[in-house]
Amino acid sequence: MSILIDKKTRILIQGITGNEGARACREALAYGTKVLAGVTPGKGGQRVEGVPVYNTIAEAMRIHAAINTSLIVVPGVFVKDAALEAIHARIPLIVILTEHVPAADAALIVHTARRYGVRIVGPSSIGIISPGKAKIGSIGTAEIAHVFRPGPIGVISKSGGMTAEIAVVLGRAGFGQSTVVGIGGDLIIGSDFADLLVLYKDDPETRAIVLFGEVGGTYEERAAEYIAQARFKKPVVALIAGRFAEALSEETVLGHAGAIVARGRGSYASKIRALKKAGVHIASSVEEIPLILKRVMGRKK
Amino acid sequence: MKLYEYEGKELFKKYNIPVPKGVVVSRGEEVPDGDEPVFLKAQVKSGDRKKEGGILEAKNHAAAMKGAWELLDKKIKGEQVEKVLVEERVDAAKEYYVSFSYDSDYRAPVLSVSTKGGSGIAKAHIVPVDMLWGVPNFFLRDALTAAGFPQEDIAGVSRVAQSSYSLFIKEYALLAEMNPLFKTKDGAFVAGDAKIILDDEKYNPGERRFLDMDGDIAVLASGGGASLLNMDALLRCGGRPANYTEYSGNPKSDVVKELTKRVLSRPGLKGCWVVGGTANFTDIYETLKGFLDGLRGVTPKPNYPIVIRRDGPRRAEAFAMLKEVSEKEGYDFHLFGSDTAMADTAKIMVREAYGKKKRSPRGSQKTA
Repeated sequence: MSILIDKKTRILIQGITGNEGARACREALAYGTKVLAGVTPGKGGQRVEGVPVYNTIAEAMRIHAAINTSLIVVPGVFVKDAALEAIHARIPLIVILTEHVPAADAALIVHTARRYGVRIVGPSSIGIISPGKAKIGSIGTAEIAHVFRPGPIGVISKSGGMTAEIAVVLGRAGFGQSTVVGIGGDLIIGSDFADLLVLYKDDPETRAIVLFGEVGGTYEERAAEYIAQARFKKPVVALIAGRFAEALSEETVLGHAGAIVARGRGSYASKIRALKKAGVHIASSVEEIPLILKRVMGRKK
Repeated sequence: MKLYEYEGKELFKKYNIPVPKGVVVSRGEEVPDGDEPVFLKAQVKSGDRKKEGGILEAKNHAAAMKGAWELLDKKIKGEQVEKVLVEERVDAAKEYYVSFSYDSDYRAPVLSVSTKGGSGIAKAHIVPVDMLWGVPNFFLRDALTAAGFPQEDIAGVSRVAQSSYSLFIKEYALLAEMNPLFKTKDGAFVAGDAKIILDDEKYNPGERRFLDMDGDIAVLASGGGASLLNMDALLRCGGRPANYTEYSGNPKSDVVKELTKRVLSRPGLKGCWVVGGTANFTDIYETLKGFLDGLRGVTPKPNYPIVIRRDGPRRAEAFAMLKEVSEKEGYDFHLFGSDTAMADTAKIMVREAYGKKKRSPRGSQKTA
């Protein structure tokens, strides 16, 4: 098994006729993941990589009822409307790759999705890969897709760039991945660490989880709270970036847009403290992750 | 993007939120006549303005002139005061706190209110806002009652809060704060201060974060997350970064070129560290070509060590190009791929730059 995406994933791409959209389409198809349709208002009737394009989701869904995942790659100003359209169509998983989505738009999207029981991943997600099964987004493009190998480790990362680096280091130590998810580093995101830990918990293939977090926001603290409260059994290893920001002014925003330190939570120290208290193993470099995994996965927890 | 108080108050006026009568004075300008007592408020972005002596009170016009000049000569937390807001004194009966901001716990806007506004504010009552509902009267009545506001003030505070929420949403603010919100002796509600942060993702999307630091190793880091991790690694092994910046996504070579020129324009550099993880889709050839173009434009020609650690699409081509250039043009490149840990190249950078135990590093001049 895996989480979020697998062989049954059927993709709709919103913004398929743009450069990013066409690339995402090629990438998914090359990995063997089915793209049933694309939507770009006003471009209905075209084809991208052989995939039919429609003007609206309603139109696409009438013909391709099997669609169960939408990938949004439209420009920032169109993201709100595109996501609301997908939520309205009750597509159960909506992955937003677009960066620079204002917090107001992201908050409205996330709130509406919750109300309609739809899951959002992103904005600013690099995508999701369940190695050997399915891939969506910019994660693991053709030339380096091989670094993601099937195996027992779930990876959740705020940083898109770090997903491949982590997979390389895990792979060298013999650890493949069940599902790798880029959740994005924005202030407001649809699925955070805790939301996905719930899924990994019930995924028999996943035996341990790696978190890559950053200073700012409270998603790492929320993960710690969930792990403690749910008596989470699978080992969790976390690597948190941005310790150097401690020395800077609280108002200096670094890294991703979400790195606004607020109310005593959100700092490097606060995250490490919370995670340690919840029994999460802290790695201080990428290379330390597999060493810790080897140590903790042998013993039954 | 944080606004100055006077800019924030202009926005308040646009949304019909009352603010004290005031005028902005710059260097060489006169404080308008009038013998009413006024407050003089230095327009700077630091939150510690009051503590740093940035707010003065003046009893008459002569004192106001003197105070304004004094403030315009001042630096507060490193920021030169360019403007002073001269404002009427408000006879306040009460000082409240009202703000809207985004909160990652609720993943929604939150209303924060307190009956103890002013510079001593410690704790606020925080309530998430349902964006499909907004902030109707009953919602504010609930929140303000729970926070201990007197019943006779709830309608007045609610009106101001509703205007502030429209501003917060329509202007794409990340924070809209009134601290204090005065209740005057006449029973009017007036925003004594305005702290507004607008969402850069709306107004300056893609603006590159750049921070000058005290050190001597120039850093060109890729990726928001990896760049933070690598700054941590460099500091941990004794490196002194000269800057923090990062480029994400799949930048055109021109973007990297300009950033390289900017980073390497600093005098007194002892090394340059170009570092990133294994890219998912970034064209490594394109980015490193941009780096090279930028490097060639730097005078005097850098002869300090340049440690490059990068992997991903077209890495082999990129490194072949750099090797050739280093042989022909004499740059001190040290090239590493994903076989060498990012953190290890931080150590190599420090050793090469500061000359500790000078020895030929493994992987130097090779495509590791």
